[in-house]
Amino acid sequence: MLEDHISDKKSLFSTGVHTELREQKSRSRQVVMIQGNLTGNARMESSGTSARVYQNGVYGFSSIAECSGDAAETVLKAATENAGFMDRHVGRGKGPLPVIPCSPIPQGSSIQDAEQKHYVEFAKALDGYITEKYPGLSSRSVIATEDSLEKIICTSDGCSGHICAPRSYIYVFLNTETASGTPIELFKSIGGTGIFTENFTDPALLYPEIDKLYEQIMRKREGVYAEAGYKTVVLSGFMSGMLAHEAVGHTVEADLVLGGSVAGPALNKCVASELVNLVDYAHTAFGRPVPLPVYLDDEGTPAEDAVLIRNGILTGYMHSRESAQHFGAKPQGNARAWSFSDEPLIRMRNTAVLPGRDKLEDIIASVDDGYYLITSTNGQADTTGEFMFGVNMGYEIKNGKLGRALLDTTISGVAFNMLKTVDMVSDTVEWTSSGFCGKKQPMPVGMGGPALRCKVMIGGR
Amino acid sequence: MTDIKRIAEKTKQLLTDAGAQKAQYTVTEKEKHEFNVDGGEFSLFRTLFDRSLSLTAYKDQKKGSAFTNQFDDAAIEGAVADCIKSAESGVADEAFDIAPGQENRVFRDGAYEPDIDLFFERTRELMDDIRKKHPKILMEQMIVTHDKIHSIYQNTNGTEFEVYEGAYSVSLMYSAHEGEATTSFFGSDIYTDKLDRPFIELGSLEKDLSDTEAQLSTVPMEGKFEGVIVLTPGSLGEFLGSIISNFASDNVILEKTSIWLEKLGRQVADERLTISMCPGDSRIVCGQRYTQDGFLAEDYDLIRNGVLKSFLLSLYVANKSGFAPARNTSFSVIIENGDTSCEDMIRQIKKGLIIGRFSGGQPGINGEFSGVAKNSFLVEDGRIRGAVSETMINGNLADLLNNLVAISKETVANGNTVLPYIAFDKVVISGKQ
Repeated sequence: MLEDHISDKKSLFSTGVHTELREQKSRSRQVVMIQGNLTGNARMESSGTSARVYQNGVYGFSSIAECSGDAAETVLKAATENAGFMDRHVGRGKGPLPVIPCSPIPQGSSIQDAEQKHYVEFAKALDGYITEKYPGLSSRSVIATEDSLEKIICTSDGCSGHICAPRSYIYVFLNTETASGTPIELFKSIGGTGIFTENFTDPALLYPEIDKLYEQIMRKREGVYAEAGYKTVVLSGFMSGMLAHEAVGHTVEADLVLGGSVAGPALNKCVASELVNLVDYAHTAFGRPVPLPVYLDDEGTPAEDAVLIRNGILTGYMHSRESAQHFGAKPQGNARAWSFSDEPLIRMRNTAVLPGRDKLEDIIASVDDGYYLITSTNGQADTTGEFMFGVNMGYEIKNGKLGRALLDTTISGVAFNMLKTVDMVSDTVEWTSSGFCGKKQPMPVGMGGPALRCKVMIGGR
Repeated sequence: MTDIKRIAEKTKQLLTDAGAQKAQYTVTEKEKHEFNVDGGEFSLFRTLFDRSLSLTAYKDQKKGSAFTNQFDDAAIEGAVADCIKSAESGVADEAFDIAPGQENRVFRDGAYEPDIDLFFERTRELMDDIRKKHPKILMEQMIVTHDKIHSIYQNTNGTEFEVYEGAYSVSLMYSAHEGEATTSFFGSDIYTDKLDRPFIELGSLEKDLSDTEAQLSTVPMEGKFEGVIVLTPGSLGEFLGSIISNFASDNVILEKTSIWLEKLGRQVADERLTISMCPGDSRIVCGQRYTQDGFLAEDYDLIRNGVLKSFLLSLYVANKSGFAPARNTSFSVIIENGDTSCEDMIRQIKKGLIIGRFSGGQPGINGEFSGVAKNSFLVEDGRIRGAVSETMINGNLADLLNNLVAISKETVANGNTVLPYIAFDKVVISGKQ
């Protein structure tokens, strides 16, 4: 467990400024097995101390790769000097940030560390299963990972706390070829919050997921290109979660609003069908823990849910303490940092479209000519809300029934236009959390949603 | 400053004592100074002091790796123990190896010590220049940094490379706004070791800003047709990254899924195209000096006159596949200029797009790509008609290289790459239908 070298340094905080002091240890374990070759087998650890000081509208930050009382004093001094440098040269003349009322924060517990052989043996077992059961595949890869963060946060006028956040995943990639010799690929990630040995106790428990993935790639092998155009589609929960994060979530991060995002002039306006509700959850949703719970952010703000869209109306943004002051809003714990040497930025946590009342089967049955889009390779979006997702698994829908599988394609649209076309919402939310959101720093995030019927542009060939 | 040579020697001793037959390790000390601008205003000054020990050991032909950023004895011993345990739990493979002993070298590149005051003034000058010359631009974020790095690489074959390097990078993310009109965001990056010129004069920054302002007025783009796309140096770099990743990199050669697997020495592109990886070129700032396997980095051609000359492989995948390892593993791409001016290139286009940025799905391993043409302009009858929105392009990366129309006389050197504009034909372009 990370030893606390910083809590007793509060007496060194300068007066008249806002100060954050953080001590952090990050750990990652990774095993990569490609075609049975163990190409990656690594254990990585980094730790250090950082300080950030807010003075009259500008920040000074400093970090050092050391966890000690001396390190804390060094970064406090450097961050204070940097804030002073900026204040002298830039002089924005803003006052102090509002004080954050403190509340009890759940304390993290020690993160257990599995030996590397657990990761290697697990990957070997899955690789062996794939090789033996599906010898016709052209190639396969298995990746076993864990990454964890442990932080001690101490602030001048907010909450303090000790946070632990481990997560672990298995990624399986399968490759084959179409009849014409075109290579195709599908992958599946499995896992979530928790250490590797908690999440993965027996490789056999994952075999059904691999079987399902194999069945999908065999369907895709016989797949067709989607017909390009503006089409009615059913987005799976995986896809609507990505939409929630990429196409809407980023545009309502307050720093991007200040940078000119489309959400700036859209506050309190209709941006979606009244069936659409969107929330960035902190730690609990629908009575259960979210995939990656956040209880306290790196500015010392206790985390609570941020309601972004209610019945189709854009109701709020996600904030840091500074942006909340600017917009006259309440900060809700979205300011997070990845490494000890990173400053907190406004980040999503677990962003989800809320479920509706329709059954997935009924939604599919309602489509005469369209597509059911299930998984995505990647997604990008613009601050205008224009988005693009790569789709690597989907099916045609003809006369309310699933048809042929699709080869890789892309969908695109403008979020606040596309969301107005949503006219059916399923009653079940599907969560994912294996990726990293990229915004200057990587950040683990959860995203989720129900199936949606809507209209988007789909790329064909 | 830490005595990183002592850390390296200690690591070597511990790895050897623990039974590593081969090993390589890099000890690094870094210092970063960074200014941030958010929403058009200075927001942050950041100074970081970091260090790292990265090590890979081979024991009984099994490989293990570890990383720590702590240099006390217990941390180094812990990292070595992690590395060895990982190797012991690994899978033996004859292909694991490190480079044979190389001539020991010390490299000194770029601006090792920052001039913080001048750096800050250049940054403030850039903000002023943008406000004056490009009033419609709203700066979402600007990050300017100086990175100072001192590192030592050693391996058990006796190689030692010591590097002292420092450079400034300027990274901007912005969009244009006028009334209710707004453009997509656009990013520009510059990497330099000199502060002798205003930043706005470097790379393609001035043109990027002008183009973004010009994107405020859009023209309708309807229907679907096959046409020519002109890739700007920025978007060309994105496409080249996908081409290399899909056809010439470690994973696809090891998996044997690359469609270029049998194409070494054969024509894969138009004969006017030569793609070189040149970290040693004078236009590249602080280029790679040695590979992760311990070879001295050398410039080489990936494609020469359309013929595939090399894959971009590590020593491990080279040993597995029988191909040669890449002579450097950087992305310091240089494509020399052609003989057509950008003006003439556009004049010759019947119908097509100039692509400023491509927002696409990860191209399939067969090279099929599909995505949105962002920050792009419609060209009709040899004239730029205006910016487009909600326009998709799709095609195949391998086909693209064989459908080259022209390479521009103009190139853009941004410190990381030197690239021209290239026009390619037979790309499917579709607007909202």
